[in-house]
Amino acid sequence: MAELRGSSGDTPHHILTRWFGTPDLHTLDVYESKAGGYKALRKALLDMAPAEITGEVKTSGLRGRGGAGFATGIKWGFINRDAPGPKYVVVNADESEPGTAKDRYILENSPHMVVEGILIAAYAVGANQAWVYIRGEYDEPYRMLTEAIEQARAKGYIGPKPFGKDYPLDIRLYRGHGAYICGEETALLESLEGKRAQPRSRPPFPAVKGAWGRPTLLNNVETLATVPAILNMGGAAYAKLGTDKSPGTRLLTVSGNVRKPGVYEVEFGKTFRHVIFELAGGPPEGRKVKVFWPGGSSAPVLPESMLDVTTDAEALAAARSMAGSGGVIVMDDTHCIVKAAHRLLRFYAYESCGKCTPCRIGQDWAVRTYERILANEGSQIELDTLQRVSDGLQNGRCLCGLGDSGGWVIDSTLRHFREEYEDHALRHECNVGKVPANA
Amino acid sequence: MSSPEKSALSSHVLDEIKELPAKYPQPRSAVMPALDLAQEEIGHLTPEAMSEVAEALQLDPGYVEGVATFYSLFHLEPIGKHRFYVCTNLSCMLRGANEIVDHLKQKIDVSSAEQVSSDGLFSLEEVECLGACEFAPMLRLDHRYHYDLTLEKVDALIDERRSSSTAQASPPTSPRGGEVKRRKKADG
Repeated sequence: MAELRGSSGDTPHHILTRWFGTPDLHTLDVYESKAGGYKALRKALLDMAPAEITGEVKTSGLRGRGGAGFATGIKWGFINRDAPGPKYVVVNADESEPGTAKDRYILENSPHMVVEGILIAAYAVGANQAWVYIRGEYDEPYRMLTEAIEQARAKGYIGPKPFGKDYPLDIRLYRGHGAYICGEETALLESLEGKRAQPRSRPPFPAVKGAWGRPTLLNNVETLATVPAILNMGGAAYAKLGTDKSPGTRLLTVSGNVRKPGVYEVEFGKTFRHVIFELAGGPPEGRKVKVFWPGGSSAPVLPESMLDVTTDAEALAAARSMAGSGGVIVMDDTHCIVKAAHRLLRFYAYESCGKCTPCRIGQDWAVRTYERILANEGSQIELDTLQRVSDGLQNGRCLCGLGDSGGWVIDSTLRHFREEYEDHALRHECNVGKVPANA
Repeated sequence: MSSPEKSALSSHVLDEIKELPAKYPQPRSAVMPALDLAQEEIGHLTPEAMSEVAEALQLDPGYVEGVATFYSLFHLEPIGKHRFYVCTNLSCMLRGANEIVDHLKQKIDVSSAEQVSSDGLFSLEEVECLGACEFAPMLRLDHRYHYDLTLEKVDALIDERRSSSTAQASPPTSPRGGEVKRRKKADG
C-alpha cells in the first residue's frame, strides 16, 4: 500500500479518506469488511431505480472534482438512458494539472472506492461498459486499479450479473502516453479513439456523441470515488457539509514551500490560511508565504494578503481565481514570481496541442518574452507584450481552457506582482530573497 | 513488403499487434497499445517499426507516426536503458528539482534529453508534473516513482544500476532479450 502523506482517519469531515490508513484497504476483502465497501453498489443495483440514484447525486450537490466543477448529478441526467445502442462511462484518470496528486492518492490507497463509484455511475446512466483513461506515467495506480478490477470480477461485482441483478457491468483500462491536453474531456476522447489528442468543438457534447460516437459520461476519479459515500450517507446529509453552493469535502494537494506537503481532505468553506498553516504546517522556518495557486497552476494566483479566502468555488471566483483541481501550490518569499510564471508558461507552450492559433502561437510568444525579460533585455515593450498576449489567450478564443490557463498565469501574476515584473523588465534586477540580481 | 528476417519487429510482436484492434469498439484505438509493444521490443520507435505497426493495423504509416510524435512517452530516438524522467514543474522546482537535474546531467555526462550516456545505460528528460507533488522533488525511473530526492539518493539510483549492469554478463544482443529484461523491471 502506498505511503500516506495527508488525510486519513475517522473524523466527521473525512468522507473520502475516512478509511485511508487501514491496512490492506486496497484489497476487496478489507474494503468490504472494514470500510463497508460495495454496500452502495448493492443498494443501487437492488433497491434503487437509476433515476433515483441520479436524483441522490443531484441532491448531494456534488460538483466535478476534475477542474471545471460542473454539477455531477446534472451531467448524469444529460445521458438519455433509454437511447438504443451502447453508452459509455469514461473515467478521467489522466491527472496532470501541475500541483495535483489527489487522484493518484485515491487510486493507490483505495482503488475499490473508484471501482464502486464507476459501477454505480454506469448503472445510473444506462452504460454497461466503462473505460478508465489513466495517465501513462501512473504505473502504481495502474497496477492497483488492475488488481482491484480483477478482484471485483472474481467476486462477480464486475460481470454479467452483479449482485444477481441482470445488468452486465464491465470496466477496462486505457493508458495515456504523456499529454496534459488529455485531461480535457474531448481531447481525452480523441486519444481513446487512437488519435492525436486535440479537443473537439462542442456541440455535440459527449453526453450525446462521446467515445466512438456514442453517448458518454465523463467523470473524474475523485468525483466517482465520492459517489459510494453519497449513497451510503444520503445526498441530503452530504449536502449539509461544506457551503450551500459548494457542498461536501474535497481533496486538496498542498505542495511547494510548506513543512508538511500532503493530500488533505477539506470541507468546503475553510480558509487557505487553515489549509496552508494548520494542515500543511506553513512555510519553512523564517520564511513567509508570498503567493499561492489555489486550484492547480491554471488557477489565477492569490497573494499572501488573500490567505483568508475560502476554498469554495464562489469565494474563489469573487477573488478572481477558481477552485480548479484543488492543487494548492505555495511559494515562499525566497522565490521570484517572474521565474515561476516563466516556468509555467513553458509548460503551457509545451503542452499546447497546436489546434487553436491563439494558444499555439501565444504561449510560445509569452515564453520568448519571459526569456528576454529574465536575460535582462526587457523594457516597457515586453511588459506590454505580456499583457497583450495574455489578453489574446483568454476569453474563449480557443476550443479548450489550455489557452486561457496560460493567460491567467500571466495576468494574475502581473496584477498582484507588478513591481517585481518592473524590477526585472525595466531595472534589470531581481530583488527577491536569495535570488541574486542578474541571475 | 520486407522479408520477415529484415523486419524491425519480431513476428511474435506483430501477431500480438494484429490481435489488438478486436479488443476495442473501433480498431483505431489499438494504435497506442500497438506502439507500446513495438517500443517495448526495440527500445524506441524507428520509422521501420512504425511502418510495420501501420501495416499490421491497416493504417497509413503517416497517421501512425502522427500519433507517435504527439505523445511524450513515445521515443523516436534511442534512449538509455534507464531513463530518468525528472519533474521540474513548479511544485518540484520550488523544492530543488533544478539542482537534481544539474547533478544528474553531470553524473551521467549528458547535456540534453536527446543524449545517452556513453555506456548506454542512462538518459534523462525534464518532464512536466508527474502528480506526486507531496513528495517533491521526485522522478520516475524504470516504471517507479522515487520521492523526496536528494543528491545522495540520486547517486544511489545511478550506482545501483551501474553495479548491477557490470555484475551481469554483457547485455543480450537480441532485441527480444532486452524486452524481457525491461518487463522484469516493470513488475519488480
